Amino acid sequence: MAQPDSQELGQATTAIHSRAQPDNKTRRYDRQLRLWAASGQSALESSRTLVISASATATSILKNLVLPGIGHFTLLDPNTVSPADAGNNFFLNGYASIGKNRAEEAVPLLTELNESVDGKASIKSVDELLRTDEGRQWIKDFSLVIAHNLPKDTLESLSSLLWEDLINPPLIVVRSAGFLADFFIQFHEQCIIEPHSESFPSLRLTQPFPALVEWADSIDYDGLDPTEHAHIPFPIILVKQAQKWRAEHGGELPKVYKDKQLFKSQIKDLQKKLDEENFEEAEAQVWRITSDVLLPSEIKELFSLTPLTTSTDPSNAAFHALLQTLKLFVESPEGPRCLPLTSTLPDVHTDTESYVRLQRMYKEQAGKEAALFKKILSETYPDKPVDDSMVDLFVKNTHHVKCLRGRKWGSWEEDKSAIVESLEVYPKETSTHLAISALWSLQAKGIDVTEEALTADILSQLPAGTTLPDELDNAIGELTRAPTADLPNTAAFLGGMIAQEAIKMITKQYVPVNGYCVVDLVDTWTGIVGRA
Amino acid sequence: MNGNSTSSDWDGRYFHVDQILDKAGPRTDESFVPGDQVKDFLRNNCKILVIGAGGLGCEILANLALSGFKDIHVIDMDTIDISNLNRQFLFRQKDVGKPKALVAAEFIMNRVPGVKVTPYYGKIQDKDEDYYMQFNLVVCGLDSVEARRWINATLVNMVDPENPESLKPLIDGGTEGFKGQARVILPTVSSCYECSLDMLNKPTAFPICTIANTPRLPEHCIEWASVLEWPRVYGDKKLDTDDPEHIGWLYDVASKRAKEFKIEGVTWSLTQGVVKNIIPAIASTNAIIAASCCNEAFKIATSSAAYLNNYFMLIGTEGVYSYTFEHERRKECPVCGGESLDISIRKDWTVERLIEMLVEKQDIQIKKPSLSTPTKQIYFQAPPQLEQATRPNLEKKVSELVEEGGEITVTASTLPFNLSLRITYT
Repeated sequence: MAQPDSQELGQATTAIHSRAQPDNKTRRYDRQLRLWAASGQSALESSRTLVISASATATSILKNLVLPGIGHFTLLDPNTVSPADAGNNFFLNGYASIGKNRAEEAVPLLTELNESVDGKASIKSVDELLRTDEGRQWIKDFSLVIAHNLPKDTLESLSSLLWEDLINPPLIVVRSAGFLADFFIQFHEQCIIEPHSESFPSLRLTQPFPALVEWADSIDYDGLDPTEHAHIPFPIILVKQAQKWRAEHGGELPKVYKDKQLFKSQIKDLQKKLDEENFEEAEAQVWRITSDVLLPSEIKELFSLTPLTTSTDPSNAAFHALLQTLKLFVESPEGPRCLPLTSTLPDVHTDTESYVRLQRMYKEQAGKEAALFKKILSETYPDKPVDDSMVDLFVKNTHHVKCLRGRKWGSWEEDKSAIVESLEVYPKETSTHLAISALWSLQAKGIDVTEEALTADILSQLPAGTTLPDELDNAIGELTRAPTADLPNTAAFLGGMIAQEAIKMITKQYVPVNGYCVVDLVDTWTGIVGRA
Repeated sequence: MNGNSTSSDWDGRYFHVDQILDKAGPRTDESFVPGDQVKDFLRNNCKILVIGAGGLGCEILANLALSGFKDIHVIDMDTIDISNLNRQFLFRQKDVGKPKALVAAEFIMNRVPGVKVTPYYGKIQDKDEDYYMQFNLVVCGLDSVEARRWINATLVNMVDPENPESLKPLIDGGTEGFKGQARVILPTVSSCYECSLDMLNKPTAFPICTIANTPRLPEHCIEWASVLEWPRVYGDKKLDTDDPEHIGWLYDVASKRAKEFKIEGVTWSLTQGVVKNIIPAIASTNAIIAASCCNEAFKIATSSAAYLNNYFMLIGTEGVYSYTFEHERRKECPVCGGESLDISIRKDWTVERLIEMLVEKQDIQIKKPSLSTPTKQIYFQAPPQLEQATRPNLEKKVSELVEEGGEITVTASTLPFNLSLRITYT
């Protein structure tokens, strides 16, 4: 967020706060900037989204992207507004819109939600666009494509087009009928430096850096007055106790349950009087000794990930350079042989002076390690300078960075054994997904939608003898009831879901869904099948 | 178009919704009769109340209108602020400062022909049972725990076993960032809002001694400015967290203190966030939760499909994770349970200490409790004469006033219910 540097506030005068007061844009976006900050906002503002079909679901999705301020969108639809559209789509002028083009009617009502968003209507047909080089290029020039309820053939062409090159935009395929829906994000790779994980990075108490050891060594519990004793920060208590344990146990830390409990009770015994909050805190934080993770296995796995070919998104290329640098950092004899230290401390029950001292120690050590990281980076990639703020962000988040690999829409279904297994493990989710696919297949073939036809289509896709779960009846029953219904509430629900995923894809913050997200609004649940 | 179509209604308008209302599904209750009768009820007879016209409320109003509810009432006590515009999509820059309920109602009536939205700009507490009795359903999109507890208790109290019409299903939604929840409450039948009070996140509270003596975080400095310095400097003048001058003053004071203690990170945004207890909010999460609430309202009003039993929780930060489950009623719920809550306290606890516990305990959280036994008053917060008369009891031991196994009735002026405690001593 655009905030003044806290350093300059010292000369606080009456004028300062009026300077610091946020501008109108920051005030308008305040509640979302608290989630994705200025960096996420600027990513949104430079995005260009194509939405295909101006259905109720599609305009709901767009509403939730226009409000937070995406840069540009184009709504593509050659159809005219039907009486049914005028009844279920909030972004049409009711009866007055009937007979006019859907996209052209909807766009002005969407753009008026946020004047900083540029929105256009296109009355072309996606099938026509897919037939010409020019049309295909036009589609590929967007940064994200979202398609709602396109026919099966069109979806296959569109997904193939966007899958064929790594630089093509991700595609979100949304299908819905009545109370049921599924959606899928087709992408090659999504690199996430800021997943906003809720787990804490290691404070490295099991492998303390010198300043921490020095502080722990300097503590003589008996020599402290009661106030000092009650203010020793918990990391110091834990480091000291861990060292003692190691000395008594051949250099090992408590591993088995019994030892962990013993370690805990030793911390408790250090209390001089009841209710010393710092010792209670240390006791509650014993996991930082007994389950400290210096190099999470998910991060280690990323080290062996081969980058996709060079034509990929430049920021992904930078991400891979950073990842390889991280690997070298961990292997470097000059480094700590684990991930770089975090510079952010949780609150610790202690006095101000000790806390500031501890914070400074972490900052200094983290600074040293960040410098080593940058040295390795520039030595390894002399020709590929990575933006400094991206490096800092990466170093700060090394415990949590993610790199997702996706797949093409529809490719999961080619693996029949995976479907059969999924039917057993996630019967209702898998059934619903298969039933929706069957509905699309019947509609493509022009076959009447009946329960028998849906079941036959599903069986034709599965190995002979596959038993269908009972849950399937719920899905096919709902689909034959309302095969073409774009219900206002389902549309609004998906509008929120897809916009959340689009925001995650565009900002590269938080973690998007990988696989088919299946939605049932009768019993009100969501589930995932076909995870990549 | 044929002759039946006018600009306020037209043939084919409900093509989508009617697919549901013309045929039962596999999970539709047997009592459902597809066809004109249910459509007529939904569109001409059903009266629904929406509480809140904010982030969830705007969405709820639009969804209900499109689903075919035609007689919608909305209550909201707030006016529109610029920070609402990133998600409350019925409002524009020009509406800033106007009452939310009024602007929202007008927008919906303009956009969705034939729908009547009756706004009330004020508090839910202004209305009595007769008012709430007129609705078939209540949908809540509130950001306040207190208001939710009030409407929940009011609707539970209204249930008369002799009169099935007195049971008003309550559908409640809430969001925070990428997370949210929607639930269906059938007062006296299923778990109520009060039953699940312990599921709320505990609000971050900083101990006064930390704020006063050992600040470590920028938040501690901000709390020092707002909790200690503001009253010291301004006396009785009320801090207005919507006034940028006030926030500016707090920001300056907090910044100076932070500098003095070498604490980094006091910003305008953080200052505002801490003093206003700002919860991040985005359009998409509100859309999901509001849609879920309206979907339940539609299914309950029409019986066209099974409805949520009874809690849907969504976490969108890492993939899409949701959990649908049945929250169980609490026998000792002060609103719908009827049984007294057993609590065990130390024999030397004073009345004041007991009150402190009632304020803090996660499943009680009563802000200003008044205490009595069947035979005597222990402590009353109001009126002033009674408060004064009972004040000396605060320092007395509970065990001097209530015998082992004795009952204490707890009431609070902000909440329409009594909590009954059975006291044992350790």
